[in-house]
Amino acid sequence: MTLSKLHVPLPFNEIMQRHEREIMRYLLRVSGNREDAADLFQETWLRAYRAYPRLELDSEVRAWLYAIAANLCRNRARDRSRRARVIVSVEEKDPAGERTGSARREFRENDGYAAVRLSELVASLPAKQREALHLRCLAGLDYVEIAGAMDCSEQAARANVSQAIRKIKSLW
Amino acid sequence: MLMKIEKLIGSIGSEFDEHEIDVLLRRSRNRVDHALKRIRRPEAALGIVKSPLGELLVAITGRGIVLNHYLYDDDDLAVTIAKLRLELDLVEDRRTIDTVSGEIRRYLAGEAKALRHKVDLTLVASAFQKKVMHELAEVPRGAVVSYQGLGAAAGAPKGARAVGNAMHNNPVPIYVPCHRVIASDGGIGGYGGGIPRKLNLLRSEGFALAPTAVRLPDNVVWGHRGTKVYCRPNCRAVARADRASFLFFADAKSARHAGMRPCKICQPN
Repeated sequence: MTLSKLHVPLPFNEIMQRHEREIMRYLLRVSGNREDAADLFQETWLRAYRAYPRLELDSEVRAWLYAIAANLCRNRARDRSRRARVIVSVEEKDPAGERTGSARREFRENDGYAAVRLSELVASLPAKQREALHLRCLAGLDYVEIAGAMDCSEQAARANVSQAIRKIKSLW
Repeated sequence: MLMKIEKLIGSIGSEFDEHEIDVLLRRSRNRVDHALKRIRRPEAALGIVKSPLGELLVAITGRGIVLNHYLYDDDDLAVTIAKLRLELDLVEDRRTIDTVSGEIRRYLAGEAKALRHKVDLTLVASAFQKKVMHELAEVPRGAVVSYQGLGAAAGAPKGARAVGNAMHNNPVPIYVPCHRVIASDGGIGGYGGGIPRKLNLLRSEGFALAPTAVRLPDNVVWGHRGTKVYCRPNCRAVARADRASFLFFADAKSARHAGMRPCKICQPN
């Protein structure tokens, strides 16, 4: 009997070393603040470590890591919005509507304002489109990798990104 | 304008530059390491060993050899590694693993103390099976025990089948000598790696067994674990005692070597 070469999975530490920087960059840019990014970073690696034995040997590690990170970002955003809704209903006002409703077009060419407006628009996108957009524009994944991370087809990944961009352009 | 939006999207959060990421990474690494420490699986060196008994998949942790698996084919290899990953962090390490092949070769050539690696029973899930393996370690080279006898020693006199299961699930054959367990009637019993390997191992430990043997040879001597006396199988002292208390030795010499004295009735020397 001759056996094919032994195929040992990469040690987890090596995966961490290889990808920690880009994951941190992604989390920082998506969450927009250091505390959240640090929390999400820890949670991402803990989850990844727990799930690593069940990751098949020939699967895309990078897409898989982004899937974990993106899921955690989504969960956090959802928890946030729930908490925010409770606070709003208690105080009986709608500060979010106040802020997003008025597009002050006169400041549009100003970069500082544009960034704020843009993040509002991105935040208002449906979750899938936002996630795909983040993975494409912030993490720089290609569509095959996005499809892997979001567990959808490559076409769907492409459609989500382009719809997101179209929507932002139309609302701008 | 349109181009600009795409560029803008790409620049979301770009106020966090690489230096900032560095600082944050340095701070977060410790936190992550600390959190991971609590859920870390033991690390194990992994490799394939070529031995006179065929190819083996071997894993060794800091505490000892944790897996010594007779390999059948590529599927078996893939399935075994997939299961192993759930329990251990695997690292390929030829140097550590290769020591096993030499040990097994020397052991089969008759060197009694060749198996130097300690045994790590991490992969044995059940407490009973661990107990059985510990009891089995008391069965010396040159002796065999019955499934029933081993069950009795592990506190389950009716647990011969359970002992069989434990042996079947033994992750470290050869090092945990499950080849030294046979049927109560002197039949050879089964072996995870196949009967020929079991016969091979027992032969190297002093039993006169033909390649097609199905039973222990008739010239074995019976050693009582309690009284430390060994007898011929037809001795009347043997007939009175509980069968489950006996070890079966290849010859009188092995029995004496295990600290037993000859019976005064049947004088088996």
